[in-house]
Amino acid sequence: MTRVFQKTARIVFFLSAAASAMAAALVFGFLLVFGFPLIGGGEFFSLLTRPWSPGQGLYGFLPMITGTAAISFLSIVFALPLSLGTVCFMGGLGPARISRLVDGFVRFMTGIPTVIYGFLGIFLLVPVVRTLFTSAGSGMCILSASLMLSLLVSPTMIIFFKDGFDSVDVRYIQAADALGADSVQRLIYVILPEAWPGIVTGIIMGLGRAMGDTLIALMIAGNAVHVPGSILDSARTLTSHIALVSASDYDSLAFKSIFACGLTLYVLNAFAVIAVRRLGGKRGPV
Amino acid sequence: MDKPVKIRVENLTFSYHQTPVFENVNLAFEAHAITAITGPSGRGKSTFLTVLNRLWESQPFAEMQGKVWILLDGQWVDIYGKTLSKPDLRRKVGMVFQTPNPLPMSIWKNMAFPLKLTGISDKSLIEEKISAALRQAFLWDEVKDRLHDSAFGLSGGQQQRLCIARALVSQPEILLLDEPTSSLDAGAASVIEDLLVRLKERCTLIVVSHYLDQVSRIADTALKLQARGFLQT
Ligand SMILES: Nc1ncnc2c1ncn2[C@@H]1O[C@H](COP(=O)(O)OP(=O)(O)OP(=O)(O)O)[C@@H](O)[C@H]1O
Ligand SMILES: [Mg+2]
Repeated sequence: MTRVFQKTARIVFFLSAAASAMAAALVFGFLLVFGFPLIGGGEFFSLLTRPWSPGQGLYGFLPMITGTAAISFLSIVFALPLSLGTVCFMGGLGPARISRLVDGFVRFMTGIPTVIYGFLGIFLLVPVVRTLFTSAGSGMCILSASLMLSLLVSPTMIIFFKDGFDSVDVRYIQAADALGADSVQRLIYVILPEAWPGIVTGIIMGLGRAMGDTLIALMIAGNAVHVPGSILDSARTLTSHIALVSASDYDSLAFKSIFACGLTLYVLNAFAVIAVRRLGGKRGPV
Repeated sequence: MDKPVKIRVENLTFSYHQTPVFENVNLAFEAHAITAITGPSGRGKSTFLTVLNRLWESQPFAEMQGKVWILLDGQWVDIYGKTLSKPDLRRKVGMVFQTPNPLPMSIWKNMAFPLKLTGISDKSLIEEKISAALRQAFLWDEVKDRLHDSAFGLSGGQQQRLCIARALVSQPEILLLDEPTSSLDAGAASVIEDLLVRLKERCTLIVVSHYLDQVSRIADTALKLQARGFLQT
């Protein structure tokens, strides 16, 4: 009886694993097939390096690739210290009662819809950026979008980081305490190295969320289709580009190009994940 | 009767979740002696040790009243007072846990850990202290050729001696040991017993033990934990 149960369980789990792998592969295939008209003539690589100017028959995504890369990278740069700081606070630097409050608040933040962040960005952040930096023009720029996006991805990162922290064996913590480690030493020498895999995973999940998010960049990055020259320039991400173009007419070549655009996003994301894994290594730096 | 005292516990009351473990306990521990603590499981032997190095404070829902004094450089110091920080206290009052708890690093790094915490960076001094402590714990010969291997590669008894050696590196004046031989065979246990007896010269030792024969072999004083208090035996 238990043997049968074990066998069925194994098959069920295998099927669900296979299904999710299939789904990922299918999405990839789908993008490939529908993007074919533009990818076909060996043109994919020129798509990656050309500007976007449908009037002249140019359907390149170079501006959007730089936009996505700049905004998502910068948002992680902002979110990483914020999230790590929050988790360190919850992981022993701060008082237990406040830590529980922060934990609850972070969990609540994961449930806030993106559009709210976008909205807050337009009404609160963009005017501030506009007044602080005169070269930021309207204030709709990479800086505004990545700051807002960092707020969006921080809760995700914090939850993964905290999982990493919580998975540290209490015996190690006790050993360090009993040997006279203060709370900072305990954190640096014992907890961080042990929680490192969780931190790497958290960064990957945060990066994935930042690259995949559409609304924030769409609402506050300004959506200009040129390669941005500074973080105060307006920019368009691959995702907002897809959203904007799919509103246009179905048969145009511009519309067809967005499949290639999705494919680019897919590949870019994969590269980012591989890069973080590589850089992160197996264990902590200490 | 007039033996020098190292630790005084006054009016100690301790509870987890409002359930008392000790009530109004008063005790004195003799210096440079082994005091054994015995008693049935779950009576609070491990808890008592953590009262002496303040380790219980990280447990939620634990509460304590009373005072603990230790004699440091001729002065009685209230360990819960402001004069002594927790890290400093724990360097003076070392602890060896019921199950060996090496850190996930090499033998060498485990030994260097307490020194790293105090910011000692003189390489030759570190080397000297580490080899001295490993020799004291009768572990040197067994590990001297594999100092940079993981501490988890050691046997249970070796790990326990490593933990003792690690506690000795910071030259504590008091050493708390929680059933240091419970996971060992008779041979390994007797190595540790010898070690404890020798350590009396440097430290005041408090040893939790289940084994009455062990207690009679090594202890100068034995305390039996009864419900909520101690009995001298
Ligand atoms: N962190 C904690 N929170 C709540 N209760 C605890 C905690 N630690 C211990 N206790 C309880 O306090 C009592 C004393 O525990 P302690 O570990 O000190 O006993 P012990 O005498 O060392 O037992 P053993 O011989 O089994 O090691 C037990 O009833 C235990 O369940
Ligand atoms: Mg115990």
